[in-house]
Amino acid sequence: MFDKRIDYAGALGFIAFMAVLPLVFGGNYLIGVLTVSVIYGIWAVSWDFMSGLTGRENFGHSLFIGVGAYTAGFLNTTFGFGGWWSLPAAMLMAMLFAVVIGLPTLRLKGPYFALAMLSSAVIMQRLMLIFWEQTGGEEGINGIEPLIRSQLGFYYFALASLVLVTALLLALARSHWGLILRAIRGDEATCQAAGINVTFYKIASLVISAAFAGAGGALYAHYQLQVSPQLFAVVTSITIITMVYVGGMASIYGPVGGAILLVLLTELLRNFGEWRLMIYSCTLILILFFLPNGLIAPTWRRVKAKLVRPE
Amino acid sequence: MSALIEVSGLSKHFGGLQAVKDVSFAIEPGEIVGILGPNGAGKTTLYNLLTGFIPYDSGSVVFKGRDLRGLAPYRIAGLGISRTFQLCRPFVGMTVFENVIVGGLGASGGGGSGLDAHAHALLKQVGLAGKEQLAVETLSYGDQRRLEIARALAAKPALLLLDEPFAGLGSGEIADLSALIRRVHADQGLTVMLIEHKLHEFMRLVGRVIALDFGEIIAEGSPEDIVRHPAVIEAYIGRGDAEAEEQTNAA
Repeated sequence: MFDKRIDYAGALGFIAFMAVLPLVFGGNYLIGVLTVSVIYGIWAVSWDFMSGLTGRENFGHSLFIGVGAYTAGFLNTTFGFGGWWSLPAAMLMAMLFAVVIGLPTLRLKGPYFALAMLSSAVIMQRLMLIFWEQTGGEEGINGIEPLIRSQLGFYYFALASLVLVTALLLALARSHWGLILRAIRGDEATCQAAGINVTFYKIASLVISAAFAGAGGALYAHYQLQVSPQLFAVVTSITIITMVYVGGMASIYGPVGGAILLVLLTELLRNFGEWRLMIYSCTLILILFFLPNGLIAPTWRRVKAKLVRPE
Repeated sequence: MSALIEVSGLSKHFGGLQAVKDVSFAIEPGEIVGILGPNGAGKTTLYNLLTGFIPYDSGSVVFKGRDLRGLAPYRIAGLGISRTFQLCRPFVGMTVFENVIVGGLGASGGGGSGLDAHAHALLKQVGLAGKEQLAVETLSYGDQRRLEIARALAAKPALLLLDEPFAGLGSGEIADLSALIRRVHADQGLTVMLIEHKLHEFMRLVGRVIALDFGEIIAEGSPEDIVRHPAVIEAYIGRGDAEAEEQTNAA
């Protein structure tokens, strides 16, 4: 019980910190960086729910992000819907894509799923260029309306979304559902022998993961006020996977910290000019070399163990 | 009394290899039936056919009056056939207790309030009480075997298929495990099929033996009869004249 209370206290502390940060330092630049970091947090958590728990690594998470963002863009500009329709519509579209891709590929063993996701994202990026008359090509869609006029207000909305998504996925991950997903990671054949419909659980978890990635994509579209094919880029997926590894795979809450940490680190290193990428990469390599289980979640577990059993 | 499982004319070939050939047998509720045969006789393939892991070419499997043709493994498991694997396949990265819970989740349709209590009772029954919160990777081989059985029993099966449960165990562990199998059979009236090479324990445990060689049933009967059956002796030791032939060739 005490254990749980420490978790809640930690979560509250984190939320308070994120909420107060822009009030203390102020400035639209910081608010912008924090907003992006929080949206990356949503992407990282949603990736971790499917891929972290089941061990089926998704190298094309950007597909769902892009689909969500473009759905928001089209609805808001071409079809003239109000901005608030974007979130549910983006989630639905991303879920649809997850079913279409998951159904054939998640039945297969081995790297097929990872490859199928990777290539789907690349194909979508190309399609956005090929059908440039509809999609705006390289330029993408411009003139998307903001959801909330105030930058700070939008940041708080994004933060609240992140908290909600994380809480929801954490609850799912700690239920029997999560147990089954972790068992799938352990051994699919044994799961089947235990009467578990492995394909259903894999597809359902991909659909859930896609829904929140799509919602994050819509948020991003309404933050940038434009979308471009770059959203589908493989590098986005790789960045998200890195964030999950740094945060601590399969912990759900860890990737939130990983995402915020890495986005902030990228910004902090801007002063180093050309050295930026070098320092960033070396930091990553060091973290993953010395902490193969990640930084955030294992550290939190250690802190908690200290608090529960003080020496 | 009608048979719990009735197999007739079951056949499967992989390319040119006839792995299981026209196998027919029936098992009554409450029996312990042993499947005997040299390596490559088709014993594990037979299990894979019965549990839907591999589709069969022809024949039929009827379990509790229901034809199993075309059913996915998880559906067959849900109907009440649980199995263990020749090599232990626990869910790594999870605790002993969680492994057993997952074993029961499929059968109960993803939940059920009695699940925790049932899992604790099973772990106690197989002798893993007090090890609930250990990571499965840290268990000894013998304990992993026990866990496999607890996991399989968590689904509350009507038929339990054990694939070489004694493999890799010392004689003391074998005696314990075989007492455990006897106990679940006696307590719950569970029907058990057993593949095993450790003949000594095997023969004492089973009530009836089906002997396979090259995918075919070569003999069927009580353990005492089976060990004296000429076809079984031939399958294990080889034909007299074949040996003689080899000797002449060598010379």
